[in-house]
Amino acid sequence: MAEEEEVLMEVEALQAVYGDDCLVIEKFPPNFHLHINPRTADDSSQQFVEAVIGVRACPQYPEEPPHLEIIGSKGLDGHRKKHLITRIQEKAHELSSCLMLVALCEEAVETLSNMNHPDGNCPLCLYPLVLEDKQNSFLPFMKLMSCFHCFHSECIIRWWKWLQEQKEINPNTSSYDTVCPSRDLENQREMHGTMKANMGNCPVCRMIFHTEDIEHVLNLVGTHSFQLNLEETEASSDEALLQSDSENIRRQKFETLLKLQQENSGLIEPKSIEVLLPGTFLPESITIPTVSVKATNKQQQGDPTSTLASETDSSGSSNKPSTSKPKNSGMRKYRAQNSRKQLKQWIKKENSATE
Amino acid sequence: MQRSVVKKKVMKANFVNPVEETMTSSSAPSRKALSKIACNRLQKELVEWQVNPPAGFKHKVTDNLQRWIIEVNGASGTLYANECYQLQVDFSEHYPMEAPQVIFLSPAPFHPHIYSNGHICLGFHIANADILYDSWSPAMTVSSICISILSMLSSSTVKQRPADNDRYVKNCRNGRSPKETRWWFHDDKV
Ligand SMILES: [Zn+2]
Ligand SMILES: [Zn+2]
Repeated sequence: MAEEEEVLMEVEALQAVYGDDCLVIEKFPPNFHLHINPRTADDSSQQFVEAVIGVRACPQYPEEPPHLEIIGSKGLDGHRKKHLITRIQEKAHELSSCLMLVALCEEAVETLSNMNHPDGNCPLCLYPLVLEDKQNSFLPFMKLMSCFHCFHSECIIRWWKWLQEQKEINPNTSSYDTVCPSRDLENQREMHGTMKANMGNCPVCRMIFHTEDIEHVLNLVGTHSFQLNLEETEASSDEALLQSDSENIRRQKFETLLKLQQENSGLIEPKSIEVLLPGTFLPESITIPTVSVKATNKQQQGDPTSTLASETDSSGSSNKPSTSKPKNSGMRKYRAQNSRKQLKQWIKKENSATE
Repeated sequence: MQRSVVKKKVMKANFVNPVEETMTSSSAPSRKALSKIACNRLQKELVEWQVNPPAGFKHKVTDNLQRWIIEVNGASGTLYANECYQLQVDFSEHYPMEAPQVIFLSPAPFHPHIYSNGHICLGFHIANADILYDSWSPAMTVSSICISILSMLSSSTVKQRPADNDRYVKNCRNGRSPKETRWWFHDDKV
């Protein structure tokens, strides 16, 4: 049986590895919350899932495995949450009566990294965001930084433009307003005046987002001459769009990126400073954003200084699936230092965060 | 203090514009054809409905994608148990940006928020956020509307018309344009 001292040392090791992502509630018997991101999380725009897991050991640990639960998550439906917790529990059984806390946490990060893609359909058109079984069948999509809900870029922009148009047409009938914050009428009315200028509400969960989130996509879409315009979009059939050459190329590139990501367990080494758009996932140029725009509201509010530079030539070659070398050690440290704010932010929002 | 102002505020329930022709339910909607996007979306919803219909509802198959007729069965254990009603759901060319118009075909159930002409007033007094048609979001679906309507029926404790039924229905007959039609929110408990 392990001594208490050994267990205490393990907890210390845990804190050293995970830094602020690890919230220790009790040192002995160990009880802590761990905020996990996929391994790409240094770039928050490439992050589609996150979770906080709770680990609570009893005094008999490690003879008895700790109790494990998911305390909160974003971007994970029930099925994927179950998968995550099952994997960690299996690991706990496998390592039974060894000191296992760090290993369990690593397993959790690993599992989450492999699930780092949006799930299901675009809530606006109801067509899949990503088809995992078929190759080459998706359109560019983006996520809202506040709640991780994902949409086809085209769909959300169409919706956004529609809202703007309606405001112009009926500036007075603001009561019909999808950009209303909460379930509470009084609140809505009171907040309405102050918030509508630079915020919107997620069509799915109504969580507030900053219009910068969307405007970035808007600019981007303009830059890359997507079919963005309402009339144009309506006229063109989706089938035609899917068949078009540029669309095929875009899809192939995206496919490559996904493969690369899988081979590296979700870890992608930032390669070049190119497009930086919070929440935008743009398969058509596989530039990997490197500047960390963190998913905290505060910083989004701050300055929309992200620059948009496009570089098309290098992206193709530099992102081919190459050797999959493990990058964990370096990244881990970086991530741990970098995540101070995220934990707080995240916990605050957890109620409305899940689907 | 804002409270009273809020409640008196005129709200536009966009999804139930009492179009004149819905009064005489047989006439076809004089509305532009569905956009390609609306079409795709509705087809998708229809498929999803067929796989997984909301409990208590039956879509009556027609070849008209723009107008759905849906049978509603009152939930057992509620005032409307064993009763069957019909909903008519009309979609504008801009669906799902614009909410669909939903009315009960005659005879409409007796309910404090259902007018005798079939128009439905779903307000903030109902604690279920999905039921707020006023804050329609394109992420909502026919299916989610149906579920809201059934929950509105099921939570009713009395079978009666809205207090302003006669006035409201008369106003609808005066042939004002759908755009002018607004809902007065019922002054129930919030
Ligand atoms: Zn979409
Ligand atoms: Zn959302």
